Amino acid sequence: MAECDAEWEYSKENIQPLRQGRSVSALHQALCQQQEGNHTALNLKKQEFESELRLYDGDDPLDVWVRYIKWAKQTYPQGGKESNISVLLERAVMRFTAEQKYHNDVRYVELWIQFAESSSDPMDVFRYMQAQGIGTMQAVFYIAWSEEHEKRGNMKMADSVFQDGVKCGAEPSDKLHAFHRALQARVCRQMMTSMTEQHRNDDDEDDEEPQRASLAELKAKGKKKATVPINRVKASVGYARGLQFKQPLGPKQNSRLMIFDENKAESEPQEPRFEVWTAPPAARAKENQQKVEKWSNVKLPLKSRSGLSVAVPPPKPSFQPFVEEDDQPPAVTPCKINPAVNSVLSARKPSRLEQTPLKKLQEKQMQTLEDGESREQSMYCRDLLYSGATEFCFEELRAQRYLQTHTIHNLKTPHTSTHCLHTNTDK
Amino acid sequence: MSLFGTNTGFGSGGTGVFGSTTTDSHNPMKDVEVTSPPDDSISCLAFSPPTMPGNFLIGGSWANDVRCWEVQDNGQTVPKAQQMHTGPVLDVCWSDDGSKVFTASCDKTAKMWDLNSNQAIQIAQHEGPIRTIHWIKAPNYSCIMTGSWDKTLKFWDTRSPNPMMSLQMPERCYCADVVYPMAVVATAERGLIVYQLENQPSEFRRIESPLKHQHRCVAIFKDKQSKPTGFALGSIEGRVAIHYINPPNPAKDNFTFKCHRSNGTNTATPQDIYAVNAISFHPVHGTLATVGSDGRFSFWDKDARTKLKTSEQLDQPITACCFNHNGNIFAYASSYDWSKGHEYYNPQKKNYIFLRNAAEELKPRNKKW
Repeated sequence: MAECDAEWEYSKENIQPLRQGRSVSALHQALCQQQEGNHTALNLKKQEFESELRLYDGDDPLDVWVRYIKWAKQTYPQGGKESNISVLLERAVMRFTAEQKYHNDVRYVELWIQFAESSSDPMDVFRYMQAQGIGTMQAVFYIAWSEEHEKRGNMKMADSVFQDGVKCGAEPSDKLHAFHRALQARVCRQMMTSMTEQHRNDDDEDDEEPQRASLAELKAKGKKKATVPINRVKASVGYARGLQFKQPLGPKQNSRLMIFDENKAESEPQEPRFEVWTAPPAARAKENQQKVEKWSNVKLPLKSRSGLSVAVPPPKPSFQPFVEEDDQPPAVTPCKINPAVNSVLSARKPSRLEQTPLKKLQEKQMQTLEDGESREQSMYCRDLLYSGATEFCFEELRAQRYLQTHTIHNLKTPHTSTHCLHTNTDK
Repeated sequence: MSLFGTNTGFGSGGTGVFGSTTTDSHNPMKDVEVTSPPDDSISCLAFSPPTMPGNFLIGGSWANDVRCWEVQDNGQTVPKAQQMHTGPVLDVCWSDDGSKVFTASCDKTAKMWDLNSNQAIQIAQHEGPIRTIHWIKAPNYSCIMTGSWDKTLKFWDTRSPNPMMSLQMPERCYCADVVYPMAVVATAERGLIVYQLENQPSEFRRIESPLKHQHRCVAIFKDKQSKPTGFALGSIEGRVAIHYINPPNPAKDNFTFKCHRSNGTNTATPQDIYAVNAISFHPVHGTLATVGSDGRFSFWDKDARTKLKTSEQLDQPITACCFNHNGNIFAYASSYDWSKGHEYYNPQKKNYIFLRNAAEELKPRNKKW
């Protein structure tokens, strides 16, 4: 047993922690396999899951995804590209957005939460979920969301999320209440410590750091109550924390700028309600992955390629970019680019929202032909080929089906019932 | 009436061919039907090399069998022999002397079929289905190259059970072609690797795919000195890329073209895009043929960058094609390619192999050859 423990100790820093913990034996096996380069067994298992995904015809396809992702997490402790975990999460999440029956299935909601946590902007994802009604009846959703708020120091929002959850009657309610109380306890503690420090007279800049972070009133230093030049405040407080808030930093006495006080924050809740989120935000930075795009109708003149800002394609493209059903909006859109800097990008934004991949997905599922939306239609079974983490070709699909029917045929003997042959063994 | 001669015409419904019915869309081009075709989808076709007299056609199918027909000058096809695998056959090839046929199957083995004795023995083993098989004839060695879904490319001396060499690929092999001293393999996730085969096979270059969609078929073409100089790569979305290995001007010389799409100029309705199932180059003219899921075949001149001909639409996808050694015969197979999954599979539907006179139709536009 001691040897077992020692093994994973060597690669401790490479192992991503799992909320529910890792089984030591699985971890040990995974690390051994990776050291020996034993790819075949892993590949076989992966292929098994991939074909199961495509050949499954029961009532609960989500189950296959959940097991696949669970296996991937245990088998690839480092996460990373080989495990395809982020791809799998994304696909699983996208695949079932239209299925109402899964919207409050706790397994599906947990997949969404994992997806949000690994994405570049979890808040976007949570807001999207709320708009779509995914997880609104599940306590875990509100717990995870408020945790995000808390991480950013936004206690008021964290609290209001819990209140939302209670209002919606999320289950299990006692869990929700327990976490809510814990949050309130933390908030109280924080307020108490900050209040006691505020009443102290000696003002050491360094001690005040936590207080500064919440941008309470600046204490006047010593006898002078005049304006303090703010430059060092900016440098030490706002940027050092690296928060993404849009609050301007400046002296309180400066009437032009308002110091953002989170305790009085009212504008935040209004933000997400401006329009229904039609597109889930992109999970990961995709600049390094080539998009499948059609460029055949547009030719950029060679000369203008060197110029970055002047000779660019027109704001609304004259061709219709061909977007795959599981494709995300291009990486430029979700990035926080100041529209004033590049007017071309902001002009594209509105047109993107109309024909989002999710909308396409939903329309395809309703099997209506999109008139004018897409000028091309692939005459093959895209969803079958691309439903897993890796693609399949027609022959692989067919071969899987052949193997499946063939093994059942082989196993069929007079005295065994056909019922048990059809179920895939749970591993 | 001679099928392979300078006469362009050949009678409809010649000897040994089923009577043609004009309304039947299974053979709209009224080409010669091969007798006793396989019972399931045809995955591959290969004609005998020039070292053998006459024309022999080999076809592998999803019914686990490989069949051999003799194609006579008058157009008659005579079934000669058949071999079985324990899984669907995915690829076939001939040895350079025409005495052996190599077959690759989903049962993870490859077999060598001696036609004279009609015996087949296993010569290769993989850990996954073998997708491609090619014969390599080098001055200092001869071997079989097998590409498999287990992400390896193995080279086999047919006398030994162990591979001479095994090369790891980044992904599963989807298609390959060999023209000594060059080999091209296209893999899943749009991988593309070129190997050089002199002395011993080694990876030459990994190329970034010129196509945006899944690779489906590849065929090497030669230059005027009969040296392999580039390849044509077909994707699952109606597009073929022509890629030269060392062109003087890559941006201008390499290009892609759309094919196997419906509604060519009509922009009112969405264009249907079909997969390109196979590409074959004419051995003499250097022009190429593509066959697609839409049930059509097309002939192209890649140097003039024009289309030479497109066929009428068959009622099934065309899954395989090949030319005979002198380019007079073009064979193509009409069967279901699984492009729409299991639902559209009809086991009762008949599968066909057609033969067409290819001497005239594939002449290039500008006589560069």
